[in-house]
Amino acid sequence: MTRADAVSRFGTLAAGVAVFLGFAVASEHFLTVANQLTILRQVSFLLILSLGFTFALIAAELDLSFANVASLAGVVTGGLVHFGHSSGLAIAAGLTVALAFGIVNGLLVTRLKIPSLIATLATAAVARGLAFMATDGVSWVGRWDPSFVWLGRGKVLGVPVLVVWSALLAFGAWFAISQTRFGVWLTATGEADEAARLAGIPIRRMKVWGLTLSGLFAGIGAVLLTASLSSAGPTSAGDFLMSGIAAVLLGMTMFTPGKPNMPGTLLGTLLIGVLANGLVLVGAPYYAQDIALGIIILGSVAISASTLTKAAFGL
Amino acid sequence: MPQPILELSGLTKRYGAVEALTGFDLAVAAGETLAICGDNGAGKSTVIRIVSGAQPPSAGEIRIKGRPVRFASPADALSQGIATIYQDLALAPRMAIYQNVFMGSEILKPTPVPGLRVLDKQAMREAARGFLARLRVEIADMDKPVEALSGGQRQAVAIARALRWKADIVIMDEPTAALGVRETRKVIDLIHEIKAQGITVILISHNMRDVVAVADRAVILKGGRKVEDIPVSGLTPKSLAGMIMRDDAEIAADRENQALPLGGRRGE
Ligand SMILES: Nc1ncnc2c1ncn2[C@@H]1O[C@H](COP(=O)(O)OP(=O)(O)O)[C@@H](O)[C@H]1O
Ligand SMILES: [Mg+2]
Repeated sequence: MTRADAVSRFGTLAAGVAVFLGFAVASEHFLTVANQLTILRQVSFLLILSLGFTFALIAAELDLSFANVASLAGVVTGGLVHFGHSSGLAIAAGLTVALAFGIVNGLLVTRLKIPSLIATLATAAVARGLAFMATDGVSWVGRWDPSFVWLGRGKVLGVPVLVVWSALLAFGAWFAISQTRFGVWLTATGEADEAARLAGIPIRRMKVWGLTLSGLFAGIGAVLLTASLSSAGPTSAGDFLMSGIAAVLLGMTMFTPGKPNMPGTLLGTLLIGVLANGLVLVGAPYYAQDIALGIIILGSVAISASTLTKAAFGL
Repeated sequence: MPQPILELSGLTKRYGAVEALTGFDLAVAAGETLAICGDNGAGKSTVIRIVSGAQPPSAGEIRIKGRPVRFASPADALSQGIATIYQDLALAPRMAIYQNVFMGSEILKPTPVPGLRVLDKQAMREAARGFLARLRVEIADMDKPVEALSGGQRQAVAIARALRWKADIVIMDEPTAALGVRETRKVIDLIHEIKAQGITVILISHNMRDVVAVADRAVILKGGRKVEDIPVSGLTPKSLAGMIMRDDAEIAADRENQALPLGGRRGE
């Protein structure tokens, strides 16, 4: 590995470590075990949604609907729990809605040939509309079935169960992409769809899979978020759009520069979680985080533009 | 000729009002290296698109070892032993050499989890190195992205993929078009290597020197029709180019009085 290689692969990581150490020095609360666990807990929803977005992006498709789909799935699950239905049914319904959005996104892109940028922007609007329709614009909050709430707030051997879920999902996503035939086919579809097609890879099916997994992960994130908050509102996952995209793009500057990758997404979300947490601890104003996210997105894209422009504009 | 490995009869392809290929007949013997030549727009790529399964013919038949076949996709043609190396190579530039060689037909290995099989990367690296060695191409690092390779090495990767498919017919569309002199030499060597392994090669080329260097037989297309079908031995690049450039009146005259003993009637 040349020095330039090392810088491009691990530069972001080094910068992240520097930010981490900076916060550790600036705030005495930052390094405490309690705060580190808080970061991991907060970052878990973002990570799960970002893993889904990464699947779609590996197939060179953009899913701009994942945050609104997650809000809608949360409303479906939360609503059913809130009005006394079994949590099993509620979870299944939320996941089904999210999965259905993923499949529809996939079909819009592969059958109707609508660029994913547009297709998912449209389905995002539909998801948002449905979430407001279902809730009349209010949030449901309540004392819900404790076994459901445990999914988001419980602990296993002192570790927040959310951290366990997200670690399992991150491992599963990494494994699927880097160790299975599914993963290489998805990657080949995103890297060179014509070459993949000529080699006999069913590229339309792979693109549907990428967008479907994005929907499914949005659903899983939504169920956990709803359980963790004991509430569901029409925009409860809305903020994850920007931070999720920023995390994945930041991840694309790491390990395999220019390519979406699961380890990158994991570290990208951690860095964004550290940043958000640290900014609060050092007393930065609330808008500092938005500005930081914008800069991260621009900076990352400047480094790894090609995959993104291909996903967005089919170039 | 004994049972040909590939026979085309009456292949015709229309694109709307344009007839790109008209009643094309061809018989290719196993192990033969055949060049398809012709000016721009003569219909060469159209033949390839049909035989590789990329597009169906409007009329006509394809037979492999005497058996009629129909290809719905390139994957169909591959499964019948026809591998096509496209002009633009159809490689994924940012993916590793071994991943390109095994694209679409990865080697898997079992895991302790029943039903779960994972990529056998080590086996693929070694096998890819082996295929390249058969082409006398040495590349140390099979994880290198294809974009880091030279033009000739990329052709080798594309051919290694055809070997991986155990193709007995390899079709190459303008394999030297984008290459300099040295890389062209390497590709010619590669074609000699696959010939030596008994693989049938169908080569499309503009470059008559390449054709003379590797082909046993040349078919010349003009305006979608076959106008020549001749052995290459004894021909020079110049005489071959002359045949491609002859105008329609001369060809028509030849047909009428059958003046040219080598004129497009062989194999009938
Ligand atoms: N998709 C297409 N639609 C319409 N016409 C086409 C198409 N592909 C090829 N043609 C026409 O068919 C003829 C033969 O083309 P082609 O087989 O590509 O020629 P070559 O490869 O010998 O240069 C040309 O006149 C070309 O313009
Ligand atoms: Mg052509």
